[in-house]
Amino acid sequence: MRPNADSAPQRIMVVRCPSLCDPDTSPAGPQAARLFDRVIGAVTGFCPNVEAAEPGVCAFGVRGPARYFGGEAMLATKIIAAVAELGVESRIGIADGMFAALLAARRAEPAAPVAPDGPAIPARPAAPGAGSEPVLVIPPGGTAGFLAAQPVSVLADQDLAGLLKRLGLLTLGDLAALPASDVASRFGDAGEAVHRLARGLDLRPLAARPPAHDLSVAREFDPPEPLAEPVVFAAKTLAEQLHAGLAARGLACVRVQVRATWADGEESSRLWRHDGLLTAAGVADRVRWQLDGWRAAPPDGQYAQGGIGMLRLVPDQVVRATGHQLALWGEAVVSDRVARAAMRVQAMLGHEAVLRPVTGGGRNVSEQVGHVPFGEKREPRLAVGPPWPGRIAGTAPGVVYPVAREAEVTDDAGRLVTVTGRCVLSAAPARLVIEREPPRRITAWAGPWPLSERWWDAVAARRRARFQLATDDGRAWLAVVRDSRWLIEAGYW
Amino acid sequence: MLPALPALRDLLPRGGLARGSVLAVPEFGLLCLALAAGASAAGAWCGIAGVPEAGLAAAVGTGLDAKRTLLVPDPGSAWPQVVASLLDGCELVLLRPPATVPVQVRRRLEAVLRRAGGVLLVAGDWPGAQVRLRVITQRWTGLGDGHGRVRACCAEVTADGRGEAALTRTRWLWLPAEDGGVTLADPVDIPMPGTPVTRTSPRLRAASAG
Repeated sequence: MRPNADSAPQRIMVVRCPSLCDPDTSPAGPQAARLFDRVIGAVTGFCPNVEAAEPGVCAFGVRGPARYFGGEAMLATKIIAAVAELGVESRIGIADGMFAALLAARRAEPAAPVAPDGPAIPARPAAPGAGSEPVLVIPPGGTAGFLAAQPVSVLADQDLAGLLKRLGLLTLGDLAALPASDVASRFGDAGEAVHRLARGLDLRPLAARPPAHDLSVAREFDPPEPLAEPVVFAAKTLAEQLHAGLAARGLACVRVQVRATWADGEESSRLWRHDGLLTAAGVADRVRWQLDGWRAAPPDGQYAQGGIGMLRLVPDQVVRATGHQLALWGEAVVSDRVARAAMRVQAMLGHEAVLRPVTGGGRNVSEQVGHVPFGEKREPRLAVGPPWPGRIAGTAPGVVYPVAREAEVTDDAGRLVTVTGRCVLSAAPARLVIEREPPRRITAWAGPWPLSERWWDAVAARRRARFQLATDDGRAWLAVVRDSRWLIEAGYW
Repeated sequence: MLPALPALRDLLPRGGLARGSVLAVPEFGLLCLALAAGASAAGAWCGIAGVPEAGLAAAVGTGLDAKRTLLVPDPGSAWPQVVASLLDGCELVLLRPPATVPVQVRRRLEAVLRRAGGVLLVAGDWPGAQVRLRVITQRWTGLGDGHGRVRACCAEVTADGRGEAALTRTRWLWLPAEDGGVTLADPVDIPMPGTPVTRTSPRLRAASAG
């Protein structure tokens, strides 16, 4: 039921809980996500198809429920009361289309007490109901007018918003007044998308998400199971149930959470992700590896926590099941054999312990090879494409220390060799002493090559001078001087 | 038999890495990566355990395929299980073991190795190794007295071992050559200690990044 590209979007109600919007800074702390789950549960009582848009924000198509509950405003009041029973304050925006409804929900909040640039205005006492209305309804057809008055800074793409502002397009109305084809040719896809938003059209139809607890499967063990094998056997059946449930809804799972509740009530959980889709056998395997990881060393073989009382599989990220297709090129196909080996090690040591190297760009030898945990997408952190002036050209070192090693480089007279801000050397380097190693005589050297990175950023700024040193044992070293200290970054041998 | 780089074939009995065998190099370096590179380039998966400082850029230069490489930088105290798991999936595992390896652990890993039919490349001491390789001397070219840059390394590599590898063989190699690969060195190229290094390039200009 995808609407025609330019038809008017459906009426959307957005429920926003300001206190739960940022799980990291929320006063509810780590409980915020669980609390938000309960909020969604409360809203689901009014309309079954609720989509969680982002943390603390959920949305649904309002036309049907509004008719049933006696109008949009009445429904909104009821929802706010229901959510307030959970101890959560909420704001509601209703408009044509998701974007306008989100903005309306945000506007329904009391004005920020401090103006961005001006002097601080004393905060008003936040009396309930006195500051602002918690519900903002944009009447049908009024969305374009509401959006036209919004500043471009409401767009999620802040770079584009800044550019629009510099071009003199201060509000969404200014942007919407431009011809779509001109916007598309100047700003590309991103411009076309925000132009659609500014005109009150939707980027995508709302995909109603069934509540997550419907999809998870669990099995209780009474009495608690002290051995792994029966649990793994149960996990296989559970995984098949999970997949049947997902498949019935046309979904597949790319990340699954395995949660085991121990006999003593403690809970252990781990997220398993794979770039391919997880099959029933794949899920069961992961359960086994995870349980193995928790078991004591072989002679004992028992679980420290007494036994498993409950095993639950929660599909954490579901996607539409469209069939799995391998990439045409660019990625080596990981055979099942290698994947099993890698994931067994991950079960022992954790997801981040097995890495796949990705060669990329960058000026320093340590950043030219990135490491991606097995099962995630291999993408270089820094692109190879752009030129990296100042990178050491030519031969790559065979040994790259993850953490640079402390060293001392002295001249013939035994004085520490220093480098001035203008890259003038105090004397020719003659001896190299690396921590915990015997001293070496320097037979040849080159440098200093200055490198000043990110000078615009006080925190990330780095200034260093680099050297290559050859020593009498036949090896060569990549050394840097930073803050008058010598560090060995890499070795050539 | 897993293939080795052409330049290394003369050093190895029957010109390759025999499945189920252990090769030992006393210290981690480009030689270890070059030994793995031939097999990796031919399609084998390669696991590297316990070597957080492996220079993958140089390894790729010698021919290693980064797409078929698994890294376990810090296997911790469970390293024998980690290596056994890796051997199930990878044809070749490069391992730097802790300083002392109990004999039973070594025996057990060798049994796993024979069953899995892989190759264990040890950067360190491994008393039962079939082949031992070692860099005796090496010398980098391209660096002068305040000028130049590291270009290539001429290294004398020796191999011995047990059984058919008992005969000691020695070869001069460019490890690496200027293009990053590994090639046999011509005797005339071999730099003698004490000879001045020829200046091959104009002094590098200082480049400021950003």
